[in-house]
Amino acid sequence: MNARYNPSGFSRLVGLRRRSWPLLLAAGFVALPGSADAARVKGRFEGFRALQNPVWAEAKDPKNHGYSFREPVPTVRAEFRRPFPHIPKELCMAAIATGPQKAQPPVLIRVGGGRTTPVTIVVTPGTRLTFQNTDPFKHKLFGVGIKTFAPGDTGPGATRDWSVPGAGVFEIRDEAAPSLRMWIVSEPNVAQVAYPSMKGEFSLNVQEPGDYVLQAYFAGKKVGPATPVTVAAADIELMVPVKVNDASLTAAAAADDKAKAADPATEPKEGAK
Amino acid sequence: MVLSRFWYVLLGLFLGLSVFLLSIATSMYNRAGARAMGEALSSDSQVVAWYLRDDARQRSGRLIQFGVDPDIAKYLQKSSDSEAKVPEDAREKLLSALKKVSASIPKDEQFDAVFAVDQAGRVVAHLGYEQASGLSDFELGGYPVVADALRGYVRDDTLILDRIYRVVARPVEYEMSSLPAGAIIGARIVDDRFARELSSRTGAAIAFYANGERASSGAPEGFAVGNLDQIVGDMSSLEQDPEYKDKGRSKVRTIGGMLGVQYSRLPGEAWQLGGGFAVARMPVAVDGLFGFFKTADDKDKQQAKLPLAILVAIAAAAIGILFSVFEHTRPIAIFKNEAQRLAKGQTDQLQPSRFRGVFRKIASDLNDGMDQVMAKGGGPRRGPADMKQVLGDIPDQPQMSAFSFPGDPSSMSSPSSGQMPPRSAPNAPANPKLPRPPGRPGSPTAMLDSTLSSEESSAARRLPTPPMRGGIDHGAAAELAEWHAVFQDFVGLKQQCGESTDGFSYEKFEQTLKKKNEELLTRHGAKRVKFSVYVKEGKAALKASPIME
Repeated sequence: MNARYNPSGFSRLVGLRRRSWPLLLAAGFVALPGSADAARVKGRFEGFRALQNPVWAEAKDPKNHGYSFREPVPTVRAEFRRPFPHIPKELCMAAIATGPQKAQPPVLIRVGGGRTTPVTIVVTPGTRLTFQNTDPFKHKLFGVGIKTFAPGDTGPGATRDWSVPGAGVFEIRDEAAPSLRMWIVSEPNVAQVAYPSMKGEFSLNVQEPGDYVLQAYFAGKKVGPATPVTVAAADIELMVPVKVNDASLTAAAAADDKAKAADPATEPKEGAK
Repeated sequence: MVLSRFWYVLLGLFLGLSVFLLSIATSMYNRAGARAMGEALSSDSQVVAWYLRDDARQRSGRLIQFGVDPDIAKYLQKSSDSEAKVPEDAREKLLSALKKVSASIPKDEQFDAVFAVDQAGRVVAHLGYEQASGLSDFELGGYPVVADALRGYVRDDTLILDRIYRVVARPVEYEMSSLPAGAIIGARIVDDRFARELSSRTGAAIAFYANGERASSGAPEGFAVGNLDQIVGDMSSLEQDPEYKDKGRSKVRTIGGMLGVQYSRLPGEAWQLGGGFAVARMPVAVDGLFGFFKTADDKDKQQAKLPLAILVAIAAAAIGILFSVFEHTRPIAIFKNEAQRLAKGQTDQLQPSRFRGVFRKIASDLNDGMDQVMAKGGGPRRGPADMKQVLGDIPDQPQMSAFSFPGDPSSMSSPSSGQMPPRSAPNAPANPKLPRPPGRPGSPTAMLDSTLSSEESSAARRLPTPPMRGGIDHGAAAELAEWHAVFQDFVGLKQQCGESTDGFSYEKFEQTLKKKNEELLTRHGAKRVKFSVYVKEGKAALKASPIME
């Protein structure tokens, strides 16, 4: 079963980039439904405040000289004083089909504010990504260990394209902004991806009926359990929240490593982790 | 001369020692200057780092004024609650609130830019950052400093965006039980104004740099800011400094031998991006032995012991002159006087006891030399005119019709071969076997007489004797005495040559000499004329020599 992105493609995305992107993210969609047969899979993340944004976690370490002073404000409750992620951009839920999906239309990635939007994305191999600089100053993006994505200037408002070469996890950084780190998970069977709201609620628009596995991704890694669902014509609402926290991240990573070890034919592309 | 030479050696040693001491002093001064410069640079670097931290802390306190403003908290919460889009009224209200609070802050503590950010990281309103005007989706949520503020921390950072920014951020709370409504971020642009302010407060010359370029600079009075441009060329090798790489502060480096620099990384994201600041000082050094003159200021010159230096110079010169007079000028003057006395005939010989040192030996040697000459019958006279050439043969008495003297072309022909050298009057031969010429007045005659036997003395007395004239002055008397001596020499030489002296009288001889004497004096303007005798072609002859002195 193949997911269907917005048929209007890249130009439509560019045209919408400033006005519609926040709206799309808030609605929890990356792709727009293109068929009346689409079914929604709704759910909710739980425990996401236990996750730690790796960039911010590193930045708070005094060894990294990220500040000359950093002090908690006593009136802010201690439970909030953690580098938990901004999940509408950093945490995503992917619907993984049982078979390979066709290449998706170009995806717009906004670069600004010290990060990309989204921070983690799951796409099929060959998908073209368009990085657009929304800051009033230049960026210098590059792919870590990726020869086809060497450091290059992207001026204010300018864009830069790059196609995902194959399966694997790719990391994008910015020589002009150390806090900017993005992870691209290239998964041949991914059919649909959705981002949650600030409260952790997500809604996937699955175009084709069939069996899927719901898997959450954070910072380029799987978090939480893999949840199998069978999509038919009716909407589905997951009754059990998807728990994502550091423990679930560790467990998912271990399971992923085990699966890779069992399948020696899996060969990550250059730069993939 | 011993004292003079000793003094010269002493002065030489003193001069060498002075150069040596100056070299040592220069080296010590430069080394001490380099050490002091290193310590001063380390101090400057520390002070600047402390100032940056303290300034950030104080300015974070200013952010409280924004945080407690009810409108700012209220509309940030409203924006955070609206995940889809920032409400327009929230933007307007927040901008007004930012302006109001910012205006209440003293000017020297105001921020260059202020941002109000909601929980999603979106910039709801901002002040002073015109580059972002019109960007509705402008956000800052990805920066650790903003993320920390949104999660309850107050902290600072240094961001390198289009420029270098010193940033402080703190949360803005609306409800105590929930996440902060947003954060307020204050930024100061690290430009020349900031660097100058920092320089005036720390006294250090400072340059901020990023991306391998100097971003801004400031220096105290007396330090040319242009010198700080030199750090650009030096930064390429900066990453090879292990201390800079590990600790964030380089060793003291000297650029071009004339600028001491120490580099420090800026805390925050700038640390990873190679951003930092350099403090610089001009080394206090002299560039040579006489560099002290250029380096010394008026105060130094006032404190120098100039009178002592002048006193030492005068004393050294006086001692040298004293030794010179004592060992050189005075002995020579004495010798000169004695020589003049000898020349004037006031003394027969030099008195060695009147001299010191080598002059005593010289006097003694001269006396010995004169004795030797006298013992050999006298030496030849030099330079007189050839009387024979002038007068022709003088068989009985000299023909003084024509004298030869130097400079007269008619008489410049040299004497023919066989000619004997002329003999001066004082050195007239005293051959005892020859008839003596008429005696001359005074001691010379007496001396000659004393060397003759009685027979010879009687023979000499048979010769005509020149009469002595009264009423003449001393110079004329000396001249007459000399002519007498010449007459006696001439007569003696004629007898020696076997010529007859019969009828050869002094009166005729004197008349001839007087005539030629006046003639030569008139013609050449000479002071006097000296006559001498010599043998030419086996016959006695006279020569006249004009004396110009």
